[in-house]
Amino acid sequence: MSDTLLLIAPLMIPFLGAASALLLRSRPAAATAIGLIAAALTAAVSTALLLRIFQSGPPAMSVFGGWPHGFGVSFSATLPGAALVFITGLVALAAAIYALGDIGPRRRRAGYDALMLAMIGAVNGAFLTEDLFNLYVWFELALLSALGLLTLDRRAAQIDGAIRYAAFAMLAATFILLGVGMVYGLTGTLHIGAAASALAKAPPSFASATAAALLLGGLMLKSGLVPFHLWLPASYHTAPITVAAVFAGLLTKMGFFALLIVLGGVFGIGSGGVGAAQLVPLLGAFAAATMLICVTGALAQTDMRRMLAYHVIAQVGYMMAALALATRDGLAAAVFYMIHSIVVQANLFFGAGLIRRACGSWDLTRTGGVVRKEPLLALLLAVPILSLAGIPPFSGFWAKLIVIRESFSAGMAWLGAVAILAGLLTIISMANFWSDACWRQARTPMRRVPRSGLAAMALLSITTLMIGVAPQWLLSIARMSARMIGDAS
Amino acid sequence: MTVLYALVGAAIVGCAIFMILSRNLVRMLLGLSLLATGANLLLFIAGRIRTDQAPIIKEGAKVLEDAADPVVQALILTAIVIGFALTIIMGVLVLRAWRTQATVDARKLESAEAMGAARARDGADE
Amino acid sequence: MFAILAASLAGACLMPLLARVIGRGAGLIIAMLPAGLLAAFVSMAPIVERGWVMGQGRAWAPALGLDFTLRLDGFSFLFCLLVTGIGALVIIYSDGYLTNKTRAERSRFYTLILFFLTAMLGCVLAENLLVMLMFWEATSVLSFLLVGFDSRSPRSRRAALMALQVTAFGGLMLLAAVLMIGATLGTYSMAQAVSQAPALAASPMGAPIVACLLIAAFTKSAQFPFHFWLPNAMQAPTPASAYLHSATMVKLGVYLLARFEPVFASVSWGRPVVIFVACLTMLVAALQALRAENFKSALAYSTIASLGILVLLVGLDGPAATVAMVGFLLAHALYKAALFFCAGSVLHATGHHNLRTLGGLARFLPLTAVACAGASLSMAGIPPFIGFISKEFLFEAQLQSSWELAPLAVAVLVNAAMVGVAGVITLRPFFLGKGKVTEVEHGETFWLVAPPLVLALAGLAISLEPDWITRVALRPAVAAVYGKAVEVDISVWHGVTPMLLLSGVVVTIGALIVRFWRQIHERLRAIERFDLYALERLWDHALQGLASGSRAATLWIQHGDLRRYLVMVLVAMAALIAWSTAAVGQKPQWPAIGELRAAPIICALVGLGGAVAATRAKSLVAALVATGLTGFALAITFMTNGAPDLALTQFTVETLIVVLLTAVLLAVPLANPVTRTRRMQITDAAIASSVALLLFIAVVDMAARPHDAAASAFFGEMSYVAAKGHNVVNVILVDFRAFDTLGETTVIAVAAILARSLLMRRGRTHDVVADLPVHFSLRAAGRTLAWLLLAASVVILWRGHDRPGGGFVGGLVAALSFALIALAYGVDRAERALRLQPLAVVGVGLLCVLLSGLAGLAVGEPYLTHLWWEPAGLPKLGTTLIFDVGVYLVVLGSVCAFLFGLQREASR
Repeated sequence: MSDTLLLIAPLMIPFLGAASALLLRSRPAAATAIGLIAAALTAAVSTALLLRIFQSGPPAMSVFGGWPHGFGVSFSATLPGAALVFITGLVALAAAIYALGDIGPRRRRAGYDALMLAMIGAVNGAFLTEDLFNLYVWFELALLSALGLLTLDRRAAQIDGAIRYAAFAMLAATFILLGVGMVYGLTGTLHIGAAASALAKAPPSFASATAAALLLGGLMLKSGLVPFHLWLPASYHTAPITVAAVFAGLLTKMGFFALLIVLGGVFGIGSGGVGAAQLVPLLGAFAAATMLICVTGALAQTDMRRMLAYHVIAQVGYMMAALALATRDGLAAAVFYMIHSIVVQANLFFGAGLIRRACGSWDLTRTGGVVRKEPLLALLLAVPILSLAGIPPFSGFWAKLIVIRESFSAGMAWLGAVAILAGLLTIISMANFWSDACWRQARTPMRRVPRSGLAAMALLSITTLMIGVAPQWLLSIARMSARMIGDAS
Repeated sequence: MTVLYALVGAAIVGCAIFMILSRNLVRMLLGLSLLATGANLLLFIAGRIRTDQAPIIKEGAKVLEDAADPVVQALILTAIVIGFALTIIMGVLVLRAWRTQATVDARKLESAEAMGAARARDGADE
Repeated sequence: MFAILAASLAGACLMPLLARVIGRGAGLIIAMLPAGLLAAFVSMAPIVERGWVMGQGRAWAPALGLDFTLRLDGFSFLFCLLVTGIGALVIIYSDGYLTNKTRAERSRFYTLILFFLTAMLGCVLAENLLVMLMFWEATSVLSFLLVGFDSRSPRSRRAALMALQVTAFGGLMLLAAVLMIGATLGTYSMAQAVSQAPALAASPMGAPIVACLLIAAFTKSAQFPFHFWLPNAMQAPTPASAYLHSATMVKLGVYLLARFEPVFASVSWGRPVVIFVACLTMLVAALQALRAENFKSALAYSTIASLGILVLLVGLDGPAATVAMVGFLLAHALYKAALFFCAGSVLHATGHHNLRTLGGLARFLPLTAVACAGASLSMAGIPPFIGFISKEFLFEAQLQSSWELAPLAVAVLVNAAMVGVAGVITLRPFFLGKGKVTEVEHGETFWLVAPPLVLALAGLAISLEPDWITRVALRPAVAAVYGKAVEVDISVWHGVTPMLLLSGVVVTIGALIVRFWRQIHERLRAIERFDLYALERLWDHALQGLASGSRAATLWIQHGDLRRYLVMVLVAMAALIAWSTAAVGQKPQWPAIGELRAAPIICALVGLGGAVAATRAKSLVAALVATGLTGFALAITFMTNGAPDLALTQFTVETLIVVLLTAVLLAVPLANPVTRTRRMQITDAAIASSVALLLFIAVVDMAARPHDAAASAFFGEMSYVAAKGHNVVNVILVDFRAFDTLGETTVIAVAAILARSLLMRRGRTHDVVADLPVHFSLRAAGRTLAWLLLAASVVILWRGHDRPGGGFVGGLVAALSFALIALAYGVDRAERALRLQPLAVVGVGLLCVLLSGLAGLAVGEPYLTHLWWEPAGLPKLGTTLIFDVGVYLVVLGSVCAFLFGLQREASR
């Protein structure tokens, strides 16, 4: 497959799928098939894209419309992007499999497949684009599809959650749009690399400082970092569980990826840029606050989904801690953490959905017995739980280890100490989760869980295990990524 | 002119924020719509206010002569349409909230946060 | 060694499946695995015996400094022998012990035990600190799973959680220590870290490293104040207790301390802290052991005391301490595991474990009684058992070390208590109090008797024939820990020495304790202070506090009030901008005022007036109108500044917003009650104006700076020449930046799905819109007007490439025509006029947009490269037209979906 085709495929396949699913949405069976096939194809092409980059080093790049580089909107498969697209494909496939046992005809008629595919396409677009305004467009697309997926069942809680989500997201969109507009006003370009070099030429000004702050604020809102996190625990848990899993895996990470690209790429944090150096001390504080506040938030919850939603943000806090180090190794640590976290978070939500299926409740005071009645589920669930808790040799251990290590060697040991404390609280929370969901006597007769759900979990659990057993692959990807992000500026 | 437009744009954003902070969801919705409008005006300044010439190549000419910045116009056009879609969706959500919960007061909408409030653990959990 | 670890891991995965197939008796086969591993290690004895160190390594993740390096020296070897040897016995014992479990549970138990065995081997063989850490954590997790094995019982779960919380805390401390060592030395090699101990201790991270190492060791080895998890961990099935919580895992802390002795000895407070903690642990544990009324609890506390002795010996300097430590390690592993087995057998046979109610069991369980007696004699340090020898070493070490006599006194007392406990747990259940137990559920079985007997006999055999074990294990182990070879002389009789005298004192006091156990025990139990101030309670309180604190904090932050959420976000945003600009410290620049034109100024001020009016409007309708006014004023502003496309779009969008939101307003109450107090309003106004002010300054500053118009210039040049369009804005939208438009079109399409899904209404509803008093002129002219609008929209679409217009505006105008029909004749009529489902229109449009770009790919150009066909005499045609038609259709379909849905919903 030609490079240009390969580069556009992770976007076009979901979008074409979405358009077809939209036309066929009154036939749930057809929509299901489209959803599954499109997800599988996306996973396949994203794998091919990643392999292509490994085989012939220099990143593929394509300017839409064939215009000179820097003028049109262009996609480039630099490393963090391509790796994230690969993981997105994997999560999309797992979600499509999981949906077989979770998303019924009613939800499919309401447009589940089209919305989900549109969201996957948007996420991939954000991971591949080289253009700031294009990034904004993908965020809006992701937002609207997310709102659609959130309200599939039209329950009161979903509408309520969606209003909170939408209000925050519209503020974020405005901040991002203004920030992007100001970058354009200062540099005359929207291309990330060109904007970075233009910004690096001039000393920071009031306007550039405002642009950096606006983009930081808007993207922190999208990634759910404290103090911009409040919408996330108020909305994620209301979504159907397949949807919540994909949200948890992808959306906050999409926000954080953009943060990485904007702060690391456009403003040169981590490669000696001064564009946003004034914000670096704040990043550490945000990271520490996020880790601690959200992990205690998780400890306070009994609803599995809300508990996991808090963990989603707490994990973003770790990534932010890595970014706050403002070193190239810190960027690499953030990329490593991001990729690991996508898989684990989605998997945990999948697991919660199956526990609900088996025990009939989301509430951890009413669950139990999984280890006896559904040992396979318990086994598959143990992988993300241990990984989130940072137990070796699962992916989360390496991710945490790298973040803490870099914080020690960057002279920000206090941040590492906070990360360790948050890690302990995470272990406590996950142990409680395990004890309540798997060990305790079930309160009600348990039901069987769908095989498709277990298959989806197996896919992600195996990925987590592979990262854990062979961390050097992901680490080398992360290192290359950090270099490429830095090179943009 | 630039300063004036910046002032007006920023003031519109300010008014919008004031409305967004209202607890009446419809007012919040109108505020969000206003916010997009104000942001678009601020965005327009990013292309600089220099001329009233539209960026349209004159009949017979091959290239554009001195005219307003077309890029920023294209961006705003996109942003306007996206803002429109978001406003309408917010409206739809507010309408649904009214239908399901018979209120447009944000304080009374708490079904999302009421779920799984807080953990009450003790040793004797059985 | 890799082979051994791999075999162990593979065995752990596969062997337990046998238990599912075979059921009872599978243990004997599964035990072949550890036995085989033991044999493999024994075959390596000649290497260790010569004092050689066997190393193996392979790169794992070099970028992390992580190499999978293993090292077998004397100390590791001793541990490996214990782990595999006792492991085999544990599995055999489990076969007899887990009789009331299902096959699946037994299989799971074996799996966990074998995984644990692998983790232990890995931990003691690891040379790379990260690898050691990995296995260390694995032992913690497996211990958690084993303690909670009887997971239906709340007490088991609580004990498991507590064990995990404490040991995981220690594990994280170890992680911190290892990472700090790595950051200081640049290597994760244990040998390097130890050899550079003084440098490590002298570095700025020296003190934290030592502190973290000590905490890690103390938590794992259950030292005060972290000891409380171990007695609780006895909730585990007895074979697991015997294996993990007395013989092997809890000794990992001692292992860590012994390995890092040079490091903590290099800081001035290292040894004193270790010795102090050890002594405190011993005292507390000895008292608690005498208070314990439960067989396993007494053993657990005595284990803690023994661990205290081991830690004390590590803390003491001098070669004798090392010899004593190694000797006691071995002795303790042997006798304590045997005693646990015996306790398990008693529990299994009688169902009781209270030392006060048990008695006279020797009649029913004679061999168990023998084993228990043998092990207890060793524990009490009675010759000729190995315990005696190790106790001699202990006293010798203390006498030789440079320390004061306080530790010695503590050791004597604690050892006396151990003698007492050993006597009590043997005599009371088995030999005294005949008639207390009159029947047992079952007699002795081979599985339950053989393991303790083997261990008790081993204790005796080693002391009588110590040559082999001294040669292959003890001497190399001492050399490995101490750093150079030390002569180890193991024999029962050394003549009359101070050590022997001390032993005599100890045994005498111990005998008195046995005699007066009941009185001491009851006196001690009566002291409630032990329970009141027990660290376990403090820990529970801490956890409870954490839970309620978390709850309170979360409720405080996540309170559910949307307004306060938004206030927080906006304040944070304003603060962020303020911080950022202040930290940069650049004064904003002021642009040239330029010419002022009256009309645009008035127009902009009208827009501002609309916005202000919207904030002050009493009714929602007024607010909507005022908002619309701002939008229209802005459209004119765009018009007067050279942006006709924007003006057109803004105008139609604003119209549609007013039309569509009117439908919302028709449904909700129009009154606009005050929802904010006066103070809130002032706060909000302050927030809003500070954000606005910051944005104003920033935008002005931006506008004052030079603008690089390279991109605009490029588009201006290429627009007609290369992209064949006069209207640069439209060309940007459909060609230069068509990809943005594609995304945006998808956004609209998704919004349509969303609206459709949320507003889905089946069947005809009563159409109030149709009944609204519509002016007759609208009814009369509506159709014509609608057709005119539709025709206009097609024209706008068509000419968009060269003059203001395009797909967006065209679609919006076309939608307006349907809005008009809906207003004039009702929604049903408008729906019929559209003929198609709105979403079908959207879908077709989206496909047009997506597919129009593929044409470029077909000729080898990038996606969205447009192709042109320019027949002579006819207007030029390009794939841009398909793209723009797609946009048109998507916008038309979506707005119709909004329109129909909202109006239907509103008219319900």
